Amino acid sequence: MEWTGLQPEMVRSELTEIVGDAHVSTDEADRLAYATDWFWLPQMWLDRGEAPRKPDYIVRPKSAEEISAILQVANSYRIPVIPWGGGSGSQGGALPVFGGIVLDTKRMNRIVEIDEKSLTVTAEAGINGKQLEWAVNEKGLMLPHYPASANCATLGGYLAPRGTGTISTKYGKAEDLVLRMQVVLPDGHILRTPIVPQHAAGPDFYRLFLGSEGTFGVITEATMQLDYLPECRLLRAVLFEDLTDAIEAGRQIMTRRLEPFVIRLYDPRSTASRVKKILGYELEGAYMVLGFDGDKDIATLQEEKAMDIINGFGARDLGREPGEAWWNQRYDFYYPPQSLKLPWMYGTTETVTTYDKIEKLYFAEKKAVEEGYKEWDIDFIGHFSHWFHWGVMVYTRFIIRNPPDDAKEAVRLHNRVWNTAMTAVLENGGMVNEHHGVGLKLSRFMRRQYGDAWPLLDRIKKSLDPNGIMNPGKVGFGR
Amino acid sequence: MNTVIGAIENCRFCLMCRHVAPVGHITHNESVTPHGIALVAAMQRRGQLTWNTSTLDVLYAEPDGGNCRAHCVTDQPLPAAIAAIRAEVADDGLAPPEVVSAHNRIAENHSAFGSYEPATMHGEWGLFVGDVGFNLARETVQAALKLLEACGLDVVPVGCGLDSGFIPCSLGYPKTAHAQARLCIEEVQRTGIKKLLVLSPQDLFAFLQMHQERLDITWPEDVVIIDLIDFLASQVPNLKLIPPAGITENAAAYVDPTHAVRLPGRFDAARSLCEVALGSAPLELFWRKDRAHPVGSTAIQFTRPDIGVRLTEARLEDAINRGAKSIVCDDPVTLHELRLRDKSNMRIQGLYETMLTRLPPHS
Ligand SMILES: Cc1cc2nc3c(=O)[nH]c(=O)nc-3n(C[C@H](O)[C@H](O)[C@H](O)COP(=O)(O)OP(=O)(O)OC[C@H]3O[C@@H](n4cnc5c(N)ncnc54)[C@H](O)[C@@H]3O)c2cc1C
Ligand code: SF4
Repeated sequence: MEWTGLQPEMVRSELTEIVGDAHVSTDEADRLAYATDWFWLPQMWLDRGEAPRKPDYIVRPKSAEEISAILQVANSYRIPVIPWGGGSGSQGGALPVFGGIVLDTKRMNRIVEIDEKSLTVTAEAGINGKQLEWAVNEKGLMLPHYPASANCATLGGYLAPRGTGTISTKYGKAEDLVLRMQVVLPDGHILRTPIVPQHAAGPDFYRLFLGSEGTFGVITEATMQLDYLPECRLLRAVLFEDLTDAIEAGRQIMTRRLEPFVIRLYDPRSTASRVKKILGYELEGAYMVLGFDGDKDIATLQEEKAMDIINGFGARDLGREPGEAWWNQRYDFYYPPQSLKLPWMYGTTETVTTYDKIEKLYFAEKKAVEEGYKEWDIDFIGHFSHWFHWGVMVYTRFIIRNPPDDAKEAVRLHNRVWNTAMTAVLENGGMVNEHHGVGLKLSRFMRRQYGDAWPLLDRIKKSLDPNGIMNPGKVGFGR
Repeated sequence: MNTVIGAIENCRFCLMCRHVAPVGHITHNESVTPHGIALVAAMQRRGQLTWNTSTLDVLYAEPDGGNCRAHCVTDQPLPAAIAAIRAEVADDGLAPPEVVSAHNRIAENHSAFGSYEPATMHGEWGLFVGDVGFNLARETVQAALKLLEACGLDVVPVGCGLDSGFIPCSLGYPKTAHAQARLCIEEVQRTGIKKLLVLSPQDLFAFLQMHQERLDITWPEDVVIIDLIDFLASQVPNLKLIPPAGITENAAAYVDPTHAVRLPGRFDAARSLCEVALGSAPLELFWRKDRAHPVGSTAIQFTRPDIGVRLTEARLEDAINRGAKSIVCDDPVTLHELRLRDKSNMRIQGLYETMLTRLPPHS
């Protein structure tokens, strides 16, 4: 925006009128803190001492009505509005690439209702994931969306990029758990979606907001499905000599509907590096953690049947301890200095497709990245962690330990690697993303991803947000 | 770079302790979470920011309550890093005036809240009373001493009005903190104490962790440092407290004191004492035990008093939301702060004072 003179002050005073002075900030330190989310690029940019694009205002509304009024101000001045939950997104979805208003939702953190009969919770979108989980745990319940970012992400941030948690294989993605939402449209109109998602009263328009990452409006409240905390969680680890066998074993477990809550299959490179570093096991092959939960007798039987399948592939049963160790330490991977960290260059090129394509896709992407960036000594690792009846997600990562020092050169290399990886994914029938969302990072691939269907999405965007104020530059939509 | 300060390089892009970040919770502001403070400090070191009102407001917003580290799998000493950066800021003459004056009071009087009275008696057992206990919450001190007497102990009160070094260290004055820590040790040695009971978790944290880690001071090996609450919990059978009659459900909430997350061993002891004092288990706050949040009793009362007040108010609100009619706590420092900020007529009772009323008449 970079205005001078009267206009910025006019906007500020209008925003202040809506939310109060304490909840509008143009403070230097605050603007810096909202200049980067968890995307490698802006973090690297800052790390190398480069000036980031900062928001012009940070606004913390308390209600859907306040958000509605803020959006009306933004429309009058044609200012970008960027919804911000926990800023833990890895795709640059919450970055203020054109400046404007960062709309931090965290003041909207009330639990409206826990319905112990229907097993639902209704909460405001800015509530922290872990706090919501603790609250429902007190009633013997759980929200079965367990992303590694629960400590920092918000409910709105779970839904807006269609997140997936560790136990999704049994319980579904965040989007499968939502019954109802309240949304503020870009023009300020506040709506509620129907009371339940499964019905036959017309099309599922509520799904438009799942995956729109703030480009179609702001989610302000959601009703989520809960489950009883399980009586038991049975975990164990097995080791396959061959990744192909391991994927096939996973497929058979899923298509027989044995309902594991987790199948986490590390490729041999990940087994040798990440599993060794965090869990301390030195193993060769493909390490798989398998979990069943719920009533003990049922979980035990499901596990026995899954082990029959696994034994058929000659995999080594490592027993319960390494499975439980993984469960207990599963988020330790994300604490620095154990996590991937600067000055390294890294990216998670996770994708999803059907069982008939997944292996070919994985090897094609691996080959393209490893061969394309040999001179950078690139490392390519992956694990298969969210399994469906029809296919599986592969969470692949590239790591360059000695990237260019120059920030601009680093940006170029980073984007080249992504182009290579996404080209391999798209050419092999994969989706550019399974759970982190699109954000800024994958925005440029959206037309290729959707082909003929893209103009429909584009038309929807233009009709909902004619002034293009909502999160411009993301999800394939320009300014 | 000072090795402790190196923690900011790990924390600046890490969001993993956000769910227990007390200041983040009351402000909803990214810049005053562990990640945000570390990022601002890291950017200042890279020349992207300078220390000015805006950035210093962030640097001084950290309460030094230990929540981030208590939840950090890789044990990053972020609070110590922030204290070390504040020391650089103070050396450069940039510390805010309230911080400077709080420091000057301690440097001159050894106390931030009143006066220090050096101990004159001798004995094997001592009770470290501390600055707030002596100057602002004497009834808690008296109750603790009477309970110890009922346990058959002859205890020498020490550190009466004496800051343990915690406040100046956290404000960014390690030299003063060092002098205070030395004074604590000298007094304990002078009085011949070998078993030092500590009344406030703030001082206990200073003695057990902070002196060593931040000031490189080791306590003499022949002095055993004991959390008073642990000791009293072990004495319950001897004290023969008479539980109040007919209480099946409590309307009193136990507030884990500031720094409790740094001393996880005390969670159960505190609750067992509450149970005998109140007649049944206390109500639990949402922010309890390993996720307990501090009140504004740390150095934040001087560095960012606005935030300190809101931290305390948030604990009172937590109790109200849980349906509590009263609050019980053992720590004089936390109790004083809660009493100071309560506007709801909540009864704020000292745990030791309550226990005292349950002592059999002959004790
Ligand atoms: C350590 C770590 C581990 C992670 N692990 C996982 C994982 O296991 N599974 C997973 O799915 N993801 C994971 N992620 C990434 C994931 O995208 C986010 O953690 C999370 O879901 C985003 O939530 P947030 O509240 O931080 O959203 P933000 O980062 O603030 O926002 C993400 C996007 O959603 C939009 N948005 C936010 N709130 C709203 C709203 N109320 N209405 C409309 N739009 C909104 C933003 O504009 C942005 O485009 C991880 C991230 C980290 C840092
Ligand atoms: S203290 Fe640990 S968990 Fe918190 S920000 Fe630092 S590294 Fe992350």
